[in-house]
Amino acid sequence: MISVQKLSKQFDGKVILRGLDCEIAKGEKVVILGPSGSGKSTLLRCMNLLEIPDGGEVWFDGKLVTAPDPALHPGMSRSALKAFRAEHGLDEDAARARMGMVFQHFNLFANMTVLQNLTLAPVELGRKTAAEAEETALTLLDRVGLTDKKDEYPARLSGGQKQRIAIVRALCMEPEALLFDEPTSALDPEMVGEVLDVMKDLAKGGMTMAVVTHEMGFAREVADRVLFMDDGSITEEGTPAEVFGSPKTERARDFFRKVL
Amino acid sequence: MNFAEKLVELFSTEKYILPFLEGLKMTLVISLGASLLGLVLGIVVALVQIAPKSKAMAVPKIITSVYVTVIRGTPMALQLIIMAFGILAIKGFPLTVTAILAFGINSGAYVSENIRGGILSVDIGQTEAGRALGLSRGTTMRKIVIPQAIKNVLPSIGNELIALIKETSIVSMIGMYDLTMAAKDVGSGSKLASYVVPMTAAAVFYLAIVYLITFGIKLLEKRLRAGDKRSKTV
Repeated sequence: MISVQKLSKQFDGKVILRGLDCEIAKGEKVVILGPSGSGKSTLLRCMNLLEIPDGGEVWFDGKLVTAPDPALHPGMSRSALKAFRAEHGLDEDAARARMGMVFQHFNLFANMTVLQNLTLAPVELGRKTAAEAEETALTLLDRVGLTDKKDEYPARLSGGQKQRIAIVRALCMEPEALLFDEPTSALDPEMVGEVLDVMKDLAKGGMTMAVVTHEMGFAREVADRVLFMDDGSITEEGTPAEVFGSPKTERARDFFRKVL
Repeated sequence: MNFAEKLVELFSTEKYILPFLEGLKMTLVISLGASLLGLVLGIVVALVQIAPKSKAMAVPKIITSVYVTVIRGTPMALQLIIMAFGILAIKGFPLTVTAILAFGINSGAYVSENIRGGILSVDIGQTEAGRALGLSRGTTMRKIVIPQAIKNVLPSIGNELIALIKETSIVSMIGMYDLTMAAKDVGSGSKLASYVVPMTAAAVFYLAIVYLITFGIKLLEKRLRAGDKRSKTV
């Protein structure tokens, strides 16, 4: 479903991603672990072009999301690359509408009520009428137990409530995949569980998920595959049991010793 | 006659109060015209300056940055004189329009900086969340960022509006009859034989206008802060 090829990214000369590859299959749950600064969030943010990669390509459902990287198409002329993009390319807004994102800091729209947060995108993008969008929103709100908050503004909600609503907001677009960027890192400890429960429900429902997190328990329980990133590369990859049980690199061993 | 009696006489005598009202009208016309022009200019300039860098935006970005630098870097009085006796020294060109243009262009430079700051002060996460849902840059701006920016800039726009109104008191430099000029006029060679009384009266008028604007802005702010915790708690 999501295919990342030779992805590279630098910020002000500092290399964040070193030409890495990864594949996320439809329905698969992939958890990305690693020390801070290893490039986990950047990898996720490149998938929906919140960061524009310097090199490499991101493919979503067989469509090219980034610009074609000439290095991956040796021998193709400029006009051939252009034609390639026209044939296989997917508009960035269309791609984003099909893969939702959940942020560390929730980013609920502060000027709107919960319900307005949920219905804005589906209505603006012509996916649903206002009435349909509201119906979907209320159904999903009910599923996370927050129907009574529909007319509140985000400033009056707890972190856990905000994050559950942020997940519902992404779901209201009926995405084919969801990207989670440290969804519980900004939460008070007692609120982590309620958010993870919603994510586990989604996982059970078959959603394709890429999750950057430090929640090892979640990774163990939900992940089909774990990626361990270090210094801009994926250095370990496998089932949770494989990666946690017998890490191959010293760096990963050291990391798991500290966090597990 | 003491000060208070003279003040009463000023307000109750037609030949004193009528020039005052005429001046007040001019002050209001210039202020209103200039603040509207300033607001529109300010928004346009701010949007140009925060637009992502591109070939098409290169020249507008340079023009707007020169505009803001020059206008903010030179005295209003000089801008007014240059406008009236230089750029718009056209026979028959209405002075009122000249004044509105001079003050509006001046105000726009300050307003643009306020608005730019207001837009930048909205958490980048708000934009990212909008874009991540598939909304375009324009829709994200319109529905999410600008409404929050307006709330943030309202106090400073109010400040700018107040400063503008008082700044118009220099239009007599180009021979216009505004509230301040009316005060000078009534004070000079009249029976009042006092500058202090009409100047005080003019000050009261300015104060009243500014107070009304402050009140209006506060009201608007309160409405826009509906989503804000601050409105009801602290």
